[in-house]
Amino acid sequence: MTASSSVDVAAGEPRTDPKPVVAVNNLRVHFQVKAGVVEAVDGVNFELLEGETLGLVGETGCGKSVTARSFLGLVPSPPALPPQGTIDYRHRNGGGVVDLLTLDSEAMGDIRGNHIAMIFQDPGKALNPALTVRDQLGEVFLIHRSADVLEGAGFGADDTGLGASLIRRAARLKSGIIERLLLALPPLRNRRNRLRASADRLIMEALADTQIPNPANILDRYPHELSGGMKQRVMIAQALACNPDVLIADEPTTALDVTVQARIIELISQLQRRHNTSVLYISHDLSLVRRVCDRIAVMYAGRIVEIGPADQLFARPKHPYTRGLLAAIPSLASRAGELEAIEGTVPELIDPEPGCRFADRCRHSTEMCLSAEPNLVDVDVGHAVSCFAYAPITGSDQTPPTVADPAPAAASPSPAPARATDDRTAS
Amino acid sequence: MQIRQYLIRRLLILPFLVIGVSIVVFALTRIGGSPVAIYLSHEMTPEEVTAIEERYHLDEPVPVQYFYWASGVLQGDLGWSGVSAAPVTSVFPSKLAATIELAFAAAAVAISLGIALGTYAGARRNRLPDHLTRIVAISGAAMPLFWFAIVMLIVFWVNLGWFPIGRSDPDIFASISHPTNLYTVDAVLAGNLRAFGDAIWHLILPAVTLGYGATAIIARMMRSSLVEQLQEDYVDAARAKGLPERLVLRRHARRNALMPTVTVIGLSFGFLLQGTVVAEIIFRWPGLGRWMADSVLRGDQATIMAYVLFTSVLFLVVNLAVDVLYAYLDRRVILGD
Amino acid sequence: MTSVVGAADALDGSTLYDSAARVRVRRTMELARSILSNPTTMAGLILVLALLAMALLAPIITEPNTPDPAQMPRDWGAIAVPPGSPDHLLGTTNTGGDVFYGVVWGSRTSLRLSILVVSITVTVGVIVGSVAGFLGGRVDEILMRIVDVFLSIPELIFALAIAAVLGPAFRNIILALAVVFWVKYARIMRGQVITVKRNDYVDAARVIGDTRLRIFAKDVLPNAITPVVVQATMDMGNIVLVGATLSFIGLAEAGLAEWGVLVAEGQAGISSGRWWASTFPGLMVFLWALGFNLVGDGMRDVLDPRTEKSR
Repeated sequence: MTASSSVDVAAGEPRTDPKPVVAVNNLRVHFQVKAGVVEAVDGVNFELLEGETLGLVGETGCGKSVTARSFLGLVPSPPALPPQGTIDYRHRNGGGVVDLLTLDSEAMGDIRGNHIAMIFQDPGKALNPALTVRDQLGEVFLIHRSADVLEGAGFGADDTGLGASLIRRAARLKSGIIERLLLALPPLRNRRNRLRASADRLIMEALADTQIPNPANILDRYPHELSGGMKQRVMIAQALACNPDVLIADEPTTALDVTVQARIIELISQLQRRHNTSVLYISHDLSLVRRVCDRIAVMYAGRIVEIGPADQLFARPKHPYTRGLLAAIPSLASRAGELEAIEGTVPELIDPEPGCRFADRCRHSTEMCLSAEPNLVDVDVGHAVSCFAYAPITGSDQTPPTVADPAPAAASPSPAPARATDDRTAS
Repeated sequence: MQIRQYLIRRLLILPFLVIGVSIVVFALTRIGGSPVAIYLSHEMTPEEVTAIEERYHLDEPVPVQYFYWASGVLQGDLGWSGVSAAPVTSVFPSKLAATIELAFAAAAVAISLGIALGTYAGARRNRLPDHLTRIVAISGAAMPLFWFAIVMLIVFWVNLGWFPIGRSDPDIFASISHPTNLYTVDAVLAGNLRAFGDAIWHLILPAVTLGYGATAIIARMMRSSLVEQLQEDYVDAARAKGLPERLVLRRHARRNALMPTVTVIGLSFGFLLQGTVVAEIIFRWPGLGRWMADSVLRGDQATIMAYVLFTSVLFLVVNLAVDVLYAYLDRRVILGD
Repeated sequence: MTSVVGAADALDGSTLYDSAARVRVRRTMELARSILSNPTTMAGLILVLALLAMALLAPIITEPNTPDPAQMPRDWGAIAVPPGSPDHLLGTTNTGGDVFYGVVWGSRTSLRLSILVVSITVTVGVIVGSVAGFLGGRVDEILMRIVDVFLSIPELIFALAIAAVLGPAFRNIILALAVVFWVKYARIMRGQVITVKRNDYVDAARVIGDTRLRIFAKDVLPNAITPVVVQATMDMGNIVLVGATLSFIGLAEAGLAEWGVLVAEGQAGISSGRWWASTFPGLMVFLWALGFNLVGDGMRDVLDPRTEKSR
């Protein structure tokens, strides 16, 4: 994977690089439904660092998708109430920090597809069936890189005249019906074709980057004429067309065949390394995420329960939920050969009970767990857990839970010494 | 290709349906009084009547009569129109042209207005434009055209005086020749801008009124279809690319929402067709519909039968065409994953 | 109705019929609840009830015309009176007919028309459709071809032609509409019968020894009733719509207290600004059709959940 952040062992020493590109602070996204308010995302904190791949894992409904979509303002707003907290984004190359949650639609339009891009789970559904590959991919270039398209076609920025302004507008997808008709007429037709050719070149370049053998062949095709793998490559090409700082991958391989999955994963890593893009990788597939991600954040019922470097998380999972998940993976199961299912189901997120949301499914839960929600606290370098077993409430007369380490685990850890519960987030 | 087979089957059945309709029409002529009536052009002498009876074999059993009537129809003999005092087939074309012009204009209004309204409402779901559109849509289906037309007439002709009735200003059109009998086209062909304007001006009120019902159902379908599309993944994906909302609507959602709307547009054709009868009466439009209405009142059976036959065949053909169109458009999407 | 035909006291048999009945009850309750919860449907229901009340209470609301209340009363001393006068609330026509009377008694005429036509069409359609569905084969083919032919002719035009051929009389309008509108029910019933025929539980019933008639009564009918009822409700509205159009064109007797006739009569005064004689009766036609359409729509939304709810 990418050269990991060289984090110093002792906590408290300042980190050198890489810098965080996106910092999510106390994000809360609630939905208003007939039965009440669904607290889908409730107090999520994490940072996405430059050039890293951060995995966001959890069961269906844990809020990982909503969290990711909040980056781009893609959470449907009539059911969703205005989000609380901030999502601070800073361009890789310096520049100020901006809270993505406060952006108006124009500013957001500038970020989407350009600085922060997203690829979706089912490319068959995420591509418009009625538009060709050229149309859809071209859109990204025309919206965000129209200057490049114009330049590539040989149009100068200082060209004047009706034709020039019509062409400029066409390059930004602003042409109305009449304008398009005019551009089809002989005097302007030539220029229009040059514009198209220029766009085509950029499109094919982007497609070639995703290792599609013959990009020219698929330009005129419709999505349904392409295989699953090809479609996903088109999506990836779309997303990376403008060399974004952040790529959000929402279960990009779930809808693909296993053989194709591996290639797509490899492709994403390659491209990421090349451009030093940060990737937020959403999945419910733990074994996949282990291969792909530098760090992993485990979400449950709208909160992050554990976050840390991938290898460490898998070798020494701290949170009972994480342990439960890992115990349920066939490939990682203990030699004893038994799959353990976690009893119970995800709780109702409508007006939830106070206390740790995993409490009623947790084998180790005590009164303390039902009384308040635990915060994310560092238990190891760069590894934080939200569980009272590692950071019990001080000054309480309730007994904290105890989470013993599983037998076959590598080291024999004891829970980290009790620390004062910290309100500051850890990553 | 089940769809293709289905469509071929429909195509093959079509002639049989037409024959079936002709039988029904023929039966109607036999029910309503004397079979000779269709062919009588004036007060005929008994010998003339007998001659007609012989020519159409009206003394023989009914199936034979049908045969001769049908073959007459196929050769263009649709009887004599008492209302127009001429053979049906000679009067038909000019009336047809008038109705085509009106129906086309109404369709154009209905399609453009319906799609625009539906898109506007669908994009602003459950807000004011959506509710207003829903009211229009619901009232459209229940609207008695004859009442609506009268109200429009009262408001726009009697009270406001914005629009005229009838098809054209005779003074302006006196000098125009009528190669196509479509006044708008004829005016353009004659290069007479004033006549063209006059023709359009006369068209507006009847076309909008006639098209109201169709506008309503098209808007309704477009709206629900758009709402459906807006929930699809590719819409979010388009937004995630940074497309401004209006482009997301126009380039992506609307294009896909148009497809189911096409079927409704085809359906609304039936609406329009039947509406011409009433609309032409009220707006004094000299087309097939008014001709039919006059014939109904005067018992001019030949015209009535010809009209029923014609509209049914048209209805069948258009329905089939719409289904073919939809199957063709749908193929691209259906053949996808 | 839990007794089972046949010697075997088949446990399956009795639960079979029990649940069918219970399903029916549950569905009716759902229907009622959905109608009451939806504002547009409620509005339609209120409208319909108001119109029905008007129809039934007509003799009380206005003085019935003698000798035939279904004919418009004429007051030759009050020609073309505008609305608002105490004797003639909605004004009078060019021939002294009281518009208010026409509006109120017109609802009676419309009720008579729609009930008659709907009864005839539903009965005929259900019978033909069930026969076609059950017997299948040749009979089905022939009957459905006839239905297809009827459906090829646009409704209004078909009814127009029939009424024209029979002669201008309200009675003939009823007949014409009946001939045109029965086919929809035949289609619906046939579809329902065929669907049920395919279901396993009908086979189970036959194994127990039920006759076709019983199967029909217990399995087909309860399921099929709902789309038929929805269609019938919509038709109650549409039939008056088409009927009024026919009488507007001139196929009913002149002087009838019927909305379409009144609108036609009122036409003459329009260019001189006398709008009331046509507007009020026509409005009633609209309200009648609207009310039944709204109620029918609401019912359909419940019973056919796969169509998108445009709420």
